Amino acid sequence: MNIVIAGAGDVGYHLAELLAQESQNITLIDRDEDVLEMVSNRLDVLTICGDCASPEILQSAGVKKANLFLAVTTSEKTNLISSILAKKMGATKTVARVQNQEYIEKNTKSDFMDLGVDSVICPNKLAAQELQKLIQESYFTDVFDFEGGKMSVVGLTLEACSPLKNKTIRELRVSSTLSGTVRPIAILRDSSTILPEGSTTLKENDHVFFMTNDRKKLPLKEYVGKENGKINRIMIVGGGNLTYSTAKMLEKDFNVTIVEKNKDRCNYLAEHLQNALIINADPSNMDMLEEEGLEHMDAFLALTPNSETNIITSLSAKNHGVFKTIAQVENSDYVHISQNIGVDTLINKKLIAANNIFRFIRKGKVEEIVSLKGVDAELIEFELHRDNQLTKHPIKDLPLPKSVIIGGIIRNNKGLIPNGDFQMKNKDKVIVFAMPETIPVVEDLFR
Amino acid sequence: MMVSLYPIRNVVGFLLMIVGGMMLSCIPFSVYFGESDWKALFGAALITASAGFLFRQFKPKTGNHQVRKREGYLIVASGWISMVLFSALPYLFSGLFDNPVDAFFESISGMTTTGATIISDIEAMPKGILFWRSLTQWIGGMGIIVLTIALFPLLGIGGIELFVAEAPGPTSDKIHPRIQQTAKSLWLIYVSFTGILMLILWAAGMTFYDAINHALTTMATGGFSTKNASIAAYNIPQIQYPILLFMFLAGTNYTLIYWGLQGKLKKVWASDEFKVYVSFVLAIGFAVAGSIMYHTDLNIEESLRTGFFQVVSLVTTTGYVSADYTLWGPGTTMIFFCLLFVGASAGSTSGGIKLVRHWVFLKNTMLEFRRLIHPRAILPIKMNGNVVNTKILSHIQVFLLLYLALFIIGSFAVSTMGLDFETATSAVATALGNVGPGIGKVGPTDNFAWLPNNVKITLSFLMILGRLELFTILVLFTPYFWKSN
Repeated sequence: MNIVIAGAGDVGYHLAELLAQESQNITLIDRDEDVLEMVSNRLDVLTICGDCASPEILQSAGVKKANLFLAVTTSEKTNLISSILAKKMGATKTVARVQNQEYIEKNTKSDFMDLGVDSVICPNKLAAQELQKLIQESYFTDVFDFEGGKMSVVGLTLEACSPLKNKTIRELRVSSTLSGTVRPIAILRDSSTILPEGSTTLKENDHVFFMTNDRKKLPLKEYVGKENGKINRIMIVGGGNLTYSTAKMLEKDFNVTIVEKNKDRCNYLAEHLQNALIINADPSNMDMLEEEGLEHMDAFLALTPNSETNIITSLSAKNHGVFKTIAQVENSDYVHISQNIGVDTLINKKLIAANNIFRFIRKGKVEEIVSLKGVDAELIEFELHRDNQLTKHPIKDLPLPKSVIIGGIIRNNKGLIPNGDFQMKNKDKVIVFAMPETIPVVEDLFR
Repeated sequence: MMVSLYPIRNVVGFLLMIVGGMMLSCIPFSVYFGESDWKALFGAALITASAGFLFRQFKPKTGNHQVRKREGYLIVASGWISMVLFSALPYLFSGLFDNPVDAFFESISGMTTTGATIISDIEAMPKGILFWRSLTQWIGGMGIIVLTIALFPLLGIGGIELFVAEAPGPTSDKIHPRIQQTAKSLWLIYVSFTGILMLILWAAGMTFYDAINHALTTMATGGFSTKNASIAAYNIPQIQYPILLFMFLAGTNYTLIYWGLQGKLKKVWASDEFKVYVSFVLAIGFAVAGSIMYHTDLNIEESLRTGFFQVVSLVTTTGYVSADYTLWGPGTTMIFFCLLFVGASAGSTSGGIKLVRHWVFLKNTMLEFRRLIHPRAILPIKMNGNVVNTKILSHIQVFLLLYLALFIIGSFAVSTMGLDFETATSAVATALGNVGPGIGKVGPTDNFAWLPNNVKITLSFLMILGRLELFTILVLFTPYFWKSN
C-alpha cells in the first residue's frame, strides 16, 4: 500500500512508525529538514521537504498513486487544502486532522466528503472521549471496546487490599464466579509484560488487562481493592481546548472545577460552559488547589500544556487522597511510565489520534486493532470468512505461536470467552492478543 | 454647547403633527354623541399641528445636522415633554378642568401610560375628550415601543440593551437588520392586537365606544377606563379574561411576541425573562387568589380571576381595577405595594423597574455569595445563555439604586407636602413605575384629584422620569451633558 503522510510532528511520526513496521511504502512530507533527517535515520520511509499544500510537492510525493493520504500537520487549513488537492490528484482515500470541533459534526463532515476529504479526525475530541470513558469507568485505567462493547478490554491496577492479591491465575479461574465472562490476558509488572499462565501469581501493583464480555455489569471494580470510588467532583487544571471539550461532556453529570491561569481564557470558558466552576489561578499553586477543595475531589485531570507540571500536580493530588488522577503529557515517551510513577493514567492526545488513524487504516484488513499502553503487544480483531484450519480443531490443538492468545470470540452478536476446548466457526469475530513479531503469522492464519 | 437644534426641532415638530392628527380622530365620537367638545378638540388639533409645522420650518442652511448621543437624549426628552404639554390642550380648551395643573397631570398620566386620574366622575365627561384621554395612552405606548426598540439600545439604556446592543455574535433578537423595518413589524403587532381586543370586548357585551377605549388603554398598559369603577364595572368573565390575557401579552417583550407569531416558540421559551415573567405571575397570582378565598366569600373561579387580574394589572403597570385589593388583609396589601416596583418585560409598553433587571440583580447577588467561597472563580452572569458584560451589569445596578433613591427622595418630598406615610410612598411608587393606583388615599377606588398642586407636579415629574428610564431625563441635569467636551 502506498501511503503519503503530510506532517512529521508527533502524530505523523507515530503513524509512520506504526505503519513502517508493517512494511508499507510510506512517504513523509514536512517543511522541517532536520525533523525529516531524524525520521529517515530511524524509519524506513521516503521523506520530502516542502509545503504539503503545494501541488508540486504533492506531485513529487507520488500522491497520484497513493492509496492513502494522511494530512496531520498542526494547521487544519493546510490539512484540509492538501487533502482536497490530493484527492483531486488521484489519492484513493484522504484523512485530515482538524482542531475545530464544528468540522466533525455530521453535516460538515459530509460537506468535506463532497470536497474530497474522506475522513476528518479531531485529536481533542478523541482525547476528550477517552477521558470521559476513564472518568465514567473510574476503576479502570484503560478501557477498549470491540463491536460496540460486546467485548472489552479493561486495565486495572491491583491495590494493597485487592482480593486478587497473591492468587494464581488457576485459583482465579476455579474460585471466581466470573469464569466464562472474564479472562486476564496480560500483566504489566515493573514495565515488563507477563503473559498469564495457570501458575502465575498476581501481586500488589500489578497492572492487569482483562478481557470481558460485559464490562458494565461485572463487579470487576472489586478486583481493584479500592473503596469509595464513586466519582462526583472533578478538578481539571489547565483550560485549553482539551479541557473545554472534556468539561463540556462531563459537566452535566459531575461537579467540574477548572483551574486556569489566563484570565481571558477563563472568561471564554465561563461563557461557554454552563455548570463548571472556573477558577482563575496558577495551577501549580498547591495552597490554592487545597483551598478549592483538592482533597475532596474524586478525580484530578492535569491538562496544562506542560507535561512536567501535569505529572507533578497529579502526584500531589494523589498524595491528597484523590482517587483518580490523569495527566496529559506532550512527550509520547512518558506515556508508558504511568504505573511506575503513581499517576493512574497518562494520556497523549497525539498518540490517541495516531492510534485512531492507524485503526482506521487497518480497518480494511482487520476489524479492529488496539495497542495496550506499556504492553508490547496488540489486540487485533479478525473475522473468519471461510472454513479453514482454524475452524477444524479446538483452540488447544491449533498451531498458534506460544505468545498468541485467543482472547474473545463474538458469535451471533454475543461475546464469548473461549477456553481450550472451544472450537471456532465461520463468521466468528476473533480477538487475538499477539506480540508484534507474531502478527504476520497470525494475519496469515486468519486470511 | 455642542448640540445642533434643527434635528431636534424637526423630530419634535413631526411628533406634534401626529398628535394633532390624532386629536382630529376624536371628533367623530363627539359628533356622534352630539356633544360640543369637538370645538376644544379641533382648536387643540389646529394649534398642535401648526406648532409642529412651524417647528420644522427654517432649516438652517449651514451646520451639521447629525444626530449624536446628546441630540438623541434631547430629542427623547423634549419630544416627550412637548407631546405631553400639547396633549393637555383639549382638556384646557374644553373648560372641564378648573385647575390647569389637573389638565397637565391627566395628560402626563396618559402619555406615560400611568393611568392615575384626577377625574372624579369619569362617566360624566364628554365622549370625545374621554376618547382623547384613552388615545394619549395608546400614543404613549406606541412611542415607548419605538424608543425601546429603536433608540434606547443606541443610547444603551432601557433594559432592552441586554438583548440587542451588547449581545455577542449575531444578534438573534433583532427582527430585521434595519430599525425602521423592526419598528414597523412591532407597530403592526401593537395595532392589530388593539383591533382584536376591541372586537373581542365588543362581542363580549361592551358598547363599541367602551370596547375601543379599553382596547387602547390595555395594549398601552395604561389603565384609563371609561367607567368610574374601572373594570370592576364589568364583573363578567368573558370581558375580564380577554383583558387579563391582553394585559399579559402587552407586558411581554414585543420581540418575543413577534417570534411567537412566526411560530418560533422554542425561541420564546429560551428567553430567561419570559420564564421569570410567567413563573412570577403564576406564583404571586395563586398566592393572592388564596388570600382572596380566605378574606372574602368569592368562589374559586372568582378568586382566581380577580387575583390574577389584579396581579397582572400591577405587574404590567396597567393599573386597571377589578376589585379593591386593600380589603384582602394587610399582607396582601403589602404584596400589592411591592408589585408597584416590579414591572413586566423589557421591550414592552410596561413601565417600572422591569423583571429583567430584578433577575440580573438577583443572579448577581447569588453569585456574590458564591464568590465569597471561591474568591478566584470567574462567575459571569448569563442571560439567555450569553454573558452579561460588566458595563451593563453596573448600569443595571446604578439604575436600581437610582430608582430606590428617587423613591425615597420623592416620598420625602410629598410627605413634606402633607401626605401620610402610606399615601406618600405608594403615590410616588405608582407614579415612578407608571402603574396608576396605589394604596392608602390613592388606592384602587380613590383618585388623585384631592392632592395639592405641588404633589401633582412632583408626581408628574416622576412619571416622566420613570417612563423614560430615569437616565434620559436625569442626564440633562448633569454637567457632563452641557460641557463642550
